[in-house]
Amino acid sequence: MSTFALLQSGFSVLMDPYVFFMVVMAIVMGTIFGALPGVSSTMAVALGLPFTYSMEPVPAIVFLVAIYCSAITGGSITAILFKIPGVPSSAPTTFDGYPMAQRGEAGKALGVALGASAVGGLFSAFCMLLLSPQLTQAALSFGPSDLFAITFMGLSILACLDSSNILRTIISGLFGLLLACVGQDKMYAVQRMTFGSKELLAGLEMIPVLIGVFAVTEVLKQTRKSDRLDAKQGVGGGRVNTKMPSLAEWLKIKWVMLRCSIIGTIIGILPGAGATIASFLCYSTETKFSKHPEKFGTGIIDGIAASETANNAATGGAMVPLLSLGIPGGNAAAVMMSALVLKGVQLGPLLLTNQPQYLSATFASMLVTNILMVIVAMGIAKVFAKILAIPYSYLGPIIVMLAIIGSYATNMSIADVKIMAIAGIVGLIFAVCRFNSAAMILGLVLGEICENNFSRAYTISRADLLGMFSRPIAGTLMALSIALLVYPIVASFFRKKKPSANA
Amino acid sequence: MFELILNVLLWLGLAYTYAFHVLEAPVPVKVLRNPYALKPDVWPNVIIVLLLICVTINIVRIVVKNRGKAEFSLGAFFASVGAFFASRLFLGIVIVVATCFVLEPLGFMGTCFLMLFFYGMLLGERKVVRLFVFSILITLLLYVVFSVLLSVNLPRGTIPQARNFALWLESVVSQAQSLI
Repeated sequence: MSTFALLQSGFSVLMDPYVFFMVVMAIVMGTIFGALPGVSSTMAVALGLPFTYSMEPVPAIVFLVAIYCSAITGGSITAILFKIPGVPSSAPTTFDGYPMAQRGEAGKALGVALGASAVGGLFSAFCMLLLSPQLTQAALSFGPSDLFAITFMGLSILACLDSSNILRTIISGLFGLLLACVGQDKMYAVQRMTFGSKELLAGLEMIPVLIGVFAVTEVLKQTRKSDRLDAKQGVGGGRVNTKMPSLAEWLKIKWVMLRCSIIGTIIGILPGAGATIASFLCYSTETKFSKHPEKFGTGIIDGIAASETANNAATGGAMVPLLSLGIPGGNAAAVMMSALVLKGVQLGPLLLTNQPQYLSATFASMLVTNILMVIVAMGIAKVFAKILAIPYSYLGPIIVMLAIIGSYATNMSIADVKIMAIAGIVGLIFAVCRFNSAAMILGLVLGEICENNFSRAYTISRADLLGMFSRPIAGTLMALSIALLVYPIVASFFRKKKPSANA
Repeated sequence: MFELILNVLLWLGLAYTYAFHVLEAPVPVKVLRNPYALKPDVWPNVIIVLLLICVTINIVRIVVKNRGKAEFSLGAFFASVGAFFASRLFLGIVIVVATCFVLEPLGFMGTCFLMLFFYGMLLGERKVVRLFVFSILITLLLYVVFSVLLSVNLPRGTIPQARNFALWLESVVSQAQSLI
């Protein structure tokens, strides 16, 4: 089937008023679910599942894809306004989004987040339509050593996150990597560092730690100040300025969005990776590409664009192996797969050949969703922003309760709530001792995938460490990562030497 | 001084973990016999060793940087500890931790109400009646959003009174749903 015919068949599905209405409903639902802490994109798709029982298979996948894309975007709303990442992949958005909101630039931050999300989502949707078979083949050629090299590249950001405080940042990152080792190891199921706790056997759940470090720590910091959130400190007295960033600002971040769209789409395709890893990796990559890496984390639009473009680009990427091979690229794709299997759809390599309408309808849904969600999400952001108009003596406890519910809802586990509280206190201690919470979270997010792939690559290469990186992708990425890791340390060493030499 | 003490505690904790808790179960024999398998303790051990080195350097840097300063003494540290225990921050931490522990016995409704009320007071709200009403309304709103609309099974509580109240509320909600 030609590309034009594919497009035509995809949009014909969406032209049905019922399907179009359901897509709009899915966007509203997905954005709200995404904005609520603890409701991950996977959970949002799962919550949308019952609505598809009475639908035909093609509208069902269209509906679920719309929820998935908008949930990822919705996560940025609370990340920017309250420093609570609605979905884990929005965690890097808090680094720059929240400082912008505190400066009264929440409107611009949300504008960049939503616009960049749309760009990432649209880019990956076109990639999915035009390059599905090729992308799948490319992704399947990635071995464990390549995947390890990719994640190691993400870790090499540690030296760049805070160039004035490299040692503490590295300690924080290593601490995060160590936290990722808690529980049974994924290769041989051997119990590690649980200190006898049954709750820790399955490892540290990422969402409670994220919520604790970002949301609870922030409330505790505000408690220390014990004042009320001034309108100027919030987002303009609870009103979000819908004014989008200027054309010049968009042009300034065009390469950021392009790079992150490409990386996000590729990471989305890789099995076991996903939107969270994509957003962290792209944020790290952009700190290296930027002429002003020291400004990342202080509230610049580049950081928001990097994170949000990447996590939305990963949504299209995750659909590629699902539609091309019947292999889900991530958890949300797995839920969609189960919905299609329930409908009796035979997933596999022949799906696109025999029933190309699945690909075209998914593409059309992503296209419409990524455009409509900008408007819908801005409206929902306005409603959420109203909350910021209330005094902090009311808002602070609500944030803590949302954090508690968000942590509990992940696994319906009280232990996760306790982990969240501990993470909140650890985040506060980190802030007092000038350790870097973002580096710790980066280590925690990438730790598991890093260790598992290193272990696999080590076994495959028969314990030959150099042999592991003899593959072109792995070798190049590792060399690049090491250079990027060492450069800031060497540069800071020479910066210190220079004044004394001059003296 | 707080930073130094924390770093020393971190170092000791890491050393203890390295010595006793990296592996808490025997490694399967097939893994031990496989010369090409990466043993489960290697990765965490490497991270801990790197951490011990980095934390040691950090401790040395803190001592060198602060040596001779008046506030860098045990006396100043104990004075700041006393001030911390009398601060709102400490009470905030106590409320957050207590909330996590009473969530199971007291259930969501009671915990949420108490948390909203007492943390609001801690943050300086003096209009007690307004805060009381607000806490009840927000508790109900959160219950409706998460329990009714999103079907999250919020804890009912293990104390009989709390559990009975949650069950009564659920029956009211289901009756309202059947009417709608």
